[in-house]
Amino acid sequence: MKLLIANRGEIALRIIRTCRKLGVRTVQTYSDPDRNSLPLRYADERYALGGATPAESYLNIEKLVHAALKTECDAVHPGYGFLSEESSFVKACEENRLTFIGPSSKALEKLGNKLSARDTMRQAGVPVIPGSDRTVNDEDEAVKVAESIGYPAILKAVYGGGGRGMRIAKNSGETRGFFRVTQLESLSAFGRGDIYIEKRLSSPRHVEIQALCDKHGKVVSLGERECSIQRRHQKLLEEAPSVALSEDLRHRLNEAAKKGLLAAGYTNAGTVEFLLDKSGEFYFLEVNKRLQVEHLVTEMTTNIDLIEEQLKIATTTSLELSQNEIHINGWAINCRINAEDPRTFAPSPGTVIHYHPPTGPGVRIDSALFSGYTIPEYYDSMVAKLATRGRDREEAIQRMRVALDEIEIAGVPTTIPLHKLLMHDEGFIQGNFDTTYLNSILPHLKSNLLGLEKFAAVAAATCRLGNAARPPVPEKDEASKWRTSARAHHMVGHGAG
Amino acid sequence: MRTYRIQLNERSYTVAVEQTGDHDFKVTLDGETFNVESLTKHEISTSLVQSGNDSIRAQTRVLSTDKVDVWLAGAAFQAAVRVIGAGGYTLASHDMGEERVGGSIRAPMPGRITSILVKEGEAVETGTPLLILEAMKMQNELTSPTSGLVKSVHVREGDTVKKDSLLLVVGGNASNPTKVLAP
Repeated sequence: MKLLIANRGEIALRIIRTCRKLGVRTVQTYSDPDRNSLPLRYADERYALGGATPAESYLNIEKLVHAALKTECDAVHPGYGFLSEESSFVKACEENRLTFIGPSSKALEKLGNKLSARDTMRQAGVPVIPGSDRTVNDEDEAVKVAESIGYPAILKAVYGGGGRGMRIAKNSGETRGFFRVTQLESLSAFGRGDIYIEKRLSSPRHVEIQALCDKHGKVVSLGERECSIQRRHQKLLEEAPSVALSEDLRHRLNEAAKKGLLAAGYTNAGTVEFLLDKSGEFYFLEVNKRLQVEHLVTEMTTNIDLIEEQLKIATTTSLELSQNEIHINGWAINCRINAEDPRTFAPSPGTVIHYHPPTGPGVRIDSALFSGYTIPEYYDSMVAKLATRGRDREEAIQRMRVALDEIEIAGVPTTIPLHKLLMHDEGFIQGNFDTTYLNSILPHLKSNLLGLEKFAAVAAATCRLGNAARPPVPEKDEASKWRTSARAHHMVGHGAG
Repeated sequence: MRTYRIQLNERSYTVAVEQTGDHDFKVTLDGETFNVESLTKHEISTSLVQSGNDSIRAQTRVLSTDKVDVWLAGAAFQAAVRVIGAGGYTLASHDMGEERVGGSIRAPMPGRITSILVKEGEAVETGTPLLILEAMKMQNELTSPTSGLVKSVHVREGDTVKKDSLLLVVGGNASNPTKVLAP
C-alpha cells in the first residue's frame, strides 16, 4: 500500500510514524510555507501542491486527487481538519479508486451537517439538546425560536465545526444583533450561511466516546475522553478517562454512542461528543467524523494504535478488535500547546528560535516543531501536543507538571503558562470543572506571570550586559512579525480595561 | 557594574548587573540577589537564574539596544531596557507607550479580512462590530473603539493584511484602542 497524506504538521508526522511501522509507503503533500517542514523529511516521497492558503493547497480537492494518482498512491489519509469530513473529497477519492481512510461518503452525508446529525441521533433514541429542527431564516424567526426554548441560546452554523460560527445570546436583543454576524461568519468560514438555534446548557461538561466501526455493523468503544477545559469553544486540554462518569453513566454513554453510530451506518474511527449537565443528564452534541487531535490520550490508555486500526478498517473493510479486548489502563492527559498569547488567545505566528522537548517515563509529545522552524500564519496555531500517562490521574498530573517545566519553546508566546496554572489549580486537581472553568481561572494567570517578571527583568538585564559589545540582531522579517504581534497583545490586554 | 531600568508590561524594575566570570553574573533587584549563568550562542542566550532555592531557566535575545525578548517558565516577555546610573547613558525608549491613533482600526495580527460589517458613512457606537479578521483559523471580531461615523474603509473582503495595516477609520474622539473580542 502507498498512502498520500493530505495534511500537515504534527498529524502528518503521526500518520507517517504508523506507516513506517507497518511498512506502508507515504507521500507527503505540502504547500509553499511548509516546504521545510518536518513531515517532508520522514515521508518516502514529497509532492508540492503549490500555494500558501489552505484553499490553494490542503483544501484543494483537484490538486490532492491529482497528486495521489500521479504518485500512484492507493489510499489517502486526511488527518483532522482540512478535508477530513468533506464528503465531496471522499466522493472524489471513491471515484478515482483511492481508499479514503475514514468514513464512507454516505455515512458522512447522514451526519453531514449539525441538523441532519441531530435528526439521525433523535431517531436512534439518543437525547439531543433542545433547539430548532431546521434552518432559521431571519432575525424574527431567530427571536421566536430562542424565546420558545429559553435563554441563553446559542446561534450555530449548521455547517460549522471546530468551535467556530457560534454565538451565545442572553436575550432577544442579542439574538437579533448576533444573527447577521453569525450568518456572515458562517458563510465565510464554511461556505453556507445557514444558522440554527440550540439551548445553552448551564456549565456543562464535555465528554466524548471514541469508537471504531466497520461496514458490517460492528462498533467497538475505546472509552471516553473528558474535554471540558476549553477556550472559545475549542479544546485546550483533554484527558482519558473522565472523573465525571459513574460506571452506570459510562455504560449509558457508550451505548448511546454505539447506537447513534450504527444508525448512521458509520465506518472507521469516529467520536460522539456529548454535553453532560449538572444533574447527570447527557445530550448529543456532534459526531467528529475523523481521527481527532486528542486521539493520543485514548492510545495511551488503551495501548491501541488508532491510525493502524484506521488503515486496517479501510483496507480490509472489517474491524478485528472486539469489545472484550479493550481495557482502559491508567490515566492520560494532553495539553495543547498553541502559538498564542495565553492571556488573550491572540494567535502569534513567528519563528521558534529554540525548542527543547521534554521526555521521560510516561511522556509523549506529538509535534512537528524544531529550532528554527517558522510557524506559518496560514494554518492552525497548535504547535505541539504534550501528553503524560500515569497509573492514575494524580500521577499523570505529577508527570505533566515536570514535563511542562522541562519543555522550552522560545521565539513565540505559547499556552504553556495556562497549562501550568491548571496543573496546580485545586479545582482542576479535584476534577471539579466544566466548559466555563478555564475562563474563571484566567485572572490567576496574570498574577502568575507577574510573579515571573523579576526573573525576566534579571535575565533581560544580564543578556543586555553580556551583549553590550555585540551588534543587535538585524531586524529580520520574522523578528519584526513577532514584535508587532507582541505589541498587539499589549494593545488587546490593556485596551479592554 | 551597570544599572538598567527594565520595563515589563505595566511595571518597571531597576536591575544592577555585575559580571563575575566568563559566564557568571551577580544581579540585584529590589535588594534581592540573583546569580546568573549565561551562555550566548547564535544570538540566543541560555541562562540559569538563581535566587535562594529558586532556579529558573531562561532564553533571551537582544533585539536592539533597548529591546530584549525573554522566555522563561513557559512564558514570553518583551523587555524595554534603558541604561541608567553613573557613567551610563540614557536611551530614549520609543516602544514603551502605545501608538494609538484616534479611530484608526489597524490589524492586530496578520490575517485575512473575511467580512466587513459596516459601510462608509455608517454611524457606529463603541463596541459595534466593524469587521472580521481571520488569523490561524480564528475569527477575530474588531469592534469600534468609539462612537461616530465610518470615515473610510481601506480593505475589501478577502484581502490579506499585514500586521498593523490600516483597515478602517472611525471619526470621533477615540481614546481607547480597538479590542479583539472572542467570537
